[in-house]
Amino acid sequence: MKSTMRKLLLTAAIAATPLLAATQAAAEGEKYILVSHAPDSDSWWNTVKNGIALAGEQMDVTVEYRNPPTGDLADMARIIEQAAASQPDGIITTLSDYDVLKGPIMAAVDSGVDVIIMNTGTPEQAAEVGALMYVGQPEYDAGLAAGKRAARDGIESFLCVNHYISSPSSAERCQGFADGLGVDLGNQMIDAGQDPAEIKNRVLAYLSANPKTDAILTLGPTSADPTLLALNENGMAGAIYFGTFDLGEEIIKGIKAGVINWGIDQQPFLQAYLPVVVMTNYHRYGVLPGNNINSGPGFVTADGLEKVEEFAGEYR
Amino acid sequence: MSDVSSGDERIKEMSKVRKALMRPELGGIVGTVAVFVFFGLFAFDSGMFNAQGIMNWSVVSAQFMIIAVGACLLMISGEFDLSVGSMIGFAGMMIAIFGVTLGWPMWIAILVTFVICVAFGALNGYIVVKTGLPSFIVTLATLFILRGFTIFIPQTIERKTIIGGIREAAEGDWLAPLFGAKIGAPIFNWLGDMGIIATFERGNRMGEPVVDGIPMLMVWALGLVIFGHWLLTRTRFGNWIFASGGDADAARNSGVPVNAVKIQMFMFTAFCATVFAVCQVMEFGSAGADRGLLKEFEAIIAVVIGGALLTGGYGSVIGAALGALIFGVVQQGLFFAGVESSLFRVFLGVILLAAVILNTYIRRIITGER
Amino acid sequence: MNDPIIQMKNIQKHFGSVIALAGVSVDIRGGECHCLLGDNGAGKSTFIKTMSGVHKPTSGEIIFEGKPMNFTRPRDAIEAGIATVHQHLAMIPLMSVSRNFFMGNEPIKKFGPIRLFDHDHANEITMREMKKMGINLRGPDQAVGTLSGGERQTVAIARAVHFGAKVLILDEPTSALGVRQTSNVLATIDKVRKQGIAVVFITHNVRHAMAVGDRFTVLNRGQTHGTAMKGEITPEELQDLMAGGQELATLEGSLGGTV
Repeated sequence: MKSTMRKLLLTAAIAATPLLAATQAAAEGEKYILVSHAPDSDSWWNTVKNGIALAGEQMDVTVEYRNPPTGDLADMARIIEQAAASQPDGIITTLSDYDVLKGPIMAAVDSGVDVIIMNTGTPEQAAEVGALMYVGQPEYDAGLAAGKRAARDGIESFLCVNHYISSPSSAERCQGFADGLGVDLGNQMIDAGQDPAEIKNRVLAYLSANPKTDAILTLGPTSADPTLLALNENGMAGAIYFGTFDLGEEIIKGIKAGVINWGIDQQPFLQAYLPVVVMTNYHRYGVLPGNNINSGPGFVTADGLEKVEEFAGEYR
Repeated sequence: MSDVSSGDERIKEMSKVRKALMRPELGGIVGTVAVFVFFGLFAFDSGMFNAQGIMNWSVVSAQFMIIAVGACLLMISGEFDLSVGSMIGFAGMMIAIFGVTLGWPMWIAILVTFVICVAFGALNGYIVVKTGLPSFIVTLATLFILRGFTIFIPQTIERKTIIGGIREAAEGDWLAPLFGAKIGAPIFNWLGDMGIIATFERGNRMGEPVVDGIPMLMVWALGLVIFGHWLLTRTRFGNWIFASGGDADAARNSGVPVNAVKIQMFMFTAFCATVFAVCQVMEFGSAGADRGLLKEFEAIIAVVIGGALLTGGYGSVIGAALGALIFGVVQQGLFFAGVESSLFRVFLGVILLAAVILNTYIRRIITGER
Repeated sequence: MNDPIIQMKNIQKHFGSVIALAGVSVDIRGGECHCLLGDNGAGKSTFIKTMSGVHKPTSGEIIFEGKPMNFTRPRDAIEAGIATVHQHLAMIPLMSVSRNFFMGNEPIKKFGPIRLFDHDHANEITMREMKKMGINLRGPDQAVGTLSGGERQTVAIARAVHFGAKVLILDEPTSALGVRQTSNVLATIDKVRKQGIAVVFITHNVRHAMAVGDRFTVLNRGQTHGTAMKGEITPEELQDLMAGGQELATLEGSLGGTV
């Protein structure tokens, strides 16, 4: 029996060794940790991972990526606490629920770790928790801008396909869009879930129940890709006004094909890349930009798509 | 065997040491030692074993323990509850709605939530017992129903899926600190002053220790583990729990009220989930529709690592608590050790498999299963 | 001879159109082993279930200790002192002998309002009772799963006796056992009988019945061929009663169908 146990231990140790070696053989410079709120299944965060990888390489620093596997924000709070306990030089984190995350973030700041807020949250909240700065796209404002644009195009009703219903920032995008149109959000936002087949069928069901819907707003590739399929299936592709947050390969194709009118690019690459660069320079030379950085919104339309297309899903 | 009347020669005499080792908790003990040795070697300098680090994995482990105790007793009595995770989200949301949206005093909100959730547990148990359907299916249905309500109710009332302001609403309440407070602050202050644990370097809490107390969450975890262990091993009810899960028909033939035992275990599991939820909302100050996702499996995994049998009738609360500790330490420890976070699941799978194999082996020796 | 504990008079049991018991009369006395023999499907199971309160007879009378017996559920029968030891469904292999022994009847130790399972007491009694039955346990916490089939039967019998059974119904206790384990169980039956308990031993093995039986009743197609005392009947005659009756019935059946 003892030998069985020894074998198990040995196996575990051997299995673990290369992984540890691989992750620890990184740069010798400063150590940063990026914490996101996204569940493992969210493909959009690949761009962020590429962003920190590139910044880490260029600046000669180590940047680790952490996320709660199921997207549970309470788990994310623990991850931030853990990140602070491992005493990195800085933490870059999203602030998707101020109530839950402010405690751990402020504790990290107070224990001497510098924090930059990226992606979700607002500039005010970032200042509130004592972060150096905020890099991202204020969600409500982006939704509002998109709504106003759509209103100019004559839109009066819409469907918001929310694939991440539990995150307040997702709902803010829909709310902003509704306010931009000057209509009540009401039941125009649906909880689409994360599964592509489910999203597709829910969109189909909503559109057949509400055939007079003018526009569709999706919140990222997770909901946009299945929605594209749904529109192809029910023949509304190109006929219905279609706007989306964020970019991805399929979304680019959709814009090119004229199915999607515009995509709002918040440029996640910059959200990941810039904080690393900013923080490294701050730690090395004490220089820090005087303001927050808005990485978006930028509307991407069929004009000038080439560069976007080339790097979609990688750096865009 | 030549003598017909006695049957003991075939059973080998066991040494005291070997006998002491032959406990359901053995797998858990071995695993605990193994993970601490492992992380001691690979992550010692990473901050995992400073005050903040220890508090970090202890709190995570304590969370697992709270739901593992319920899941353990329920599993020993022969049933599963897959609705634990949804129950956590639901309970938190109920407290937010009662306490914040409706503005009830927090202690009423907490008590009413406990009553509702334990009633759902009883309903789970009642349906399982009366229909004879596998609890797997019945509680899977509850999983969806509760999660659905957890999203629907706040969206209908508040137009959002996260309700904050619970900490503020709970201020001055007499019951809320039982779940959200921290104890032992003077000791930690002293430790901080003595330089034994680190202190904040800046901000409004400068000079205060980085760990300023033991959260009630951990007290609950410890209390529930002790209660569960005592109930299972020291009371007649504990014997009924074993009997109900070991062989419900044999237990019924011997006069054990199997149905009542099972329903009460479902209620206890719901109670544990609610404790988890109340501690969580009191700590974080908000309730979200995604809280507790997949926690039911984490509870079951902790219980199985701790040596309980999936089919019921065998297990140990101490084992489950150690399973929770292993789970928590591994989950947080991998971060400390700097392992790519997407590999977390791979490790989890490996540990689960190793634990189950080891435990099966131990159990066969103890029980003579073939 | 002493008065019978249970008298079953002309018991009939019908399940819809199926006649499982067609008028069976048997009496059970303390301190004797009454063997109930019969081939598969003879109605043995229905008969003992009627006796232990699981089934209500369609017609006929059961008299228990001089009074008509009217059990509505098995629990009543157990409380009255009629214990059934099934071949399966008696022991939980994963639990210790001591926990099994006291399952449903746990001894209680009080600490103020708190009631605890008195393990010391339970362990002591278990060891003592098992020793009486000739089984030396490694310890009271030994799991039942480590015991042999015969030993498990013995634990179940010892448990029933300890909790005051007056009538012990053993449903095919030897059918799945090897020779040596069988003789263990038969020895146990002998010990129980000597304590003045009435034993109803259901079997289809004539040799096992002859070894311990005081009286023998053969059931065939829901009817008895009477009860014989020990010494009044040879194993061959018993065998013939069981098997011969079957052959005769088959013969009659086939004649009735063709002629």
